[in-house]
Amino acid sequence: MTFTIFNGSPRYKKSNSQTLTEQFLKGYHNQGKTEPVKICYLARASQLAEHLEAFRQAEEVIIIFPLYTDCMPGMVKEFLELLPAAGNKNPKKLGFIVQSGFPEAIHSVYVERYLEKYARRRHYHYLGTVIKGGVESIRSMPPSMNKKLFKQFRELGDNFARTGQLPRELMQQMRTPLKMNAVGRTVFRVISLLGLPDMYWKKMLKKHGAYHLRSSRPYAP
Amino acid sequence: MIITILDGSMQGSSGEMIAFVEKAEARLQPKHTVRCFHLQNLNIRHCNGCWDCWWKTPGLCAIKDDMESIYPVVMQSDLLVFASPLMAGFTSSVLKRASDRLIPLIHPYVILNQGECHHKKRYDKYPDFALILEREPDTDDEDIAIVKDIYRRFALNFHCSLKHTWLTHMHSPQDIAHDIHHF
Repeated sequence: MTFTIFNGSPRYKKSNSQTLTEQFLKGYHNQGKTEPVKICYLARASQLAEHLEAFRQAEEVIIIFPLYTDCMPGMVKEFLELLPAAGNKNPKKLGFIVQSGFPEAIHSVYVERYLEKYARRRHYHYLGTVIKGGVESIRSMPPSMNKKLFKQFRELGDNFARTGQLPRELMQQMRTPLKMNAVGRTVFRVISLLGLPDMYWKKMLKKHGAYHLRSSRPYAP
Repeated sequence: MIITILDGSMQGSSGEMIAFVEKAEARLQPKHTVRCFHLQNLNIRHCNGCWDCWWKTPGLCAIKDDMESIYPVVMQSDLLVFASPLMAGFTSSVLKRASDRLIPLIHPYVILNQGECHHKKRYDKYPDFALILEREPDTDDEDIAIVKDIYRRFALNFHCSLKHTWLTHMHSPQDIAHDIHHF
């Protein structure tokens, strides 16, 4: 099976999508899969023809992207518009991984509906959509805090290498919480009072000498 | 009312949307101020996720292109209309590219809104959203529902509501003018 991953992050190799892809592939290669997995970066727009050819040749495809304005990034939409429908004899297997900074999965389940319909419209064999929230913080967290997340992605890759499927039970675990429960909301309110959710942003604003501009409204009418 | 239309028509689409939007604009102009951007004619680059707009130059995008002329117009508007032919079941990539670039208009800070985490407002007031959609040959009700739901979510993050959805095969420019006059 020719397996190709399309990274739809505008941040290219410095993306969280890249970090998660690397963990996925660690698990994938654990299963003794020796053939290289091709990774195409949609941010490299000049390579579009190569990306389309790589898609045409692949039998298994996963497209991973960050949630952008409640949907896929524009460059992923551009790519999806150009993909051909699968042939009836051998439908290509197509799965998606949607990662976002929000802690809840609810933000990504709407684009999931689109992706499922897209796969149906193009006659691909839909592998499902992995949804994972809270991903943006992996850049600022110590490695120990990312252990569980990375393990989940290695398990995804391991399972995909063994079965050619994305495991439903693990996918279900990964998309929790769908929404915060009352306890979660209370905790969030308390840590908000302490300013904890904003700490990372404030630190970065200060680092760039822009903290005093944080409330700028350059386009206020 | 001030209305901004982002027309996501692109090469490969029928061109029907451009004519439809122009007729709607003509119907609306006597009573309203309408600005229409035909995005395919503009230089608008993809958001590159640099977040300069959140932590280096708060509120300002680092990319210098034609979005610079769209931001102030959007923020002066009462209604922001996303007009697009459906392509592969969703609004066009040209429109999505411009939509991604609206992120400097909100804060990176996250608050609870309707029990969910959403970005905090940067401005006191945001325009409400509306959609004009041109269907593809295989468009069905499920597609329209998916698009509307995604734009409802987008509106929630932009502290506004999706007020209208018009379909070019069901509604006329006159219907749009009527709905907006009675908005």
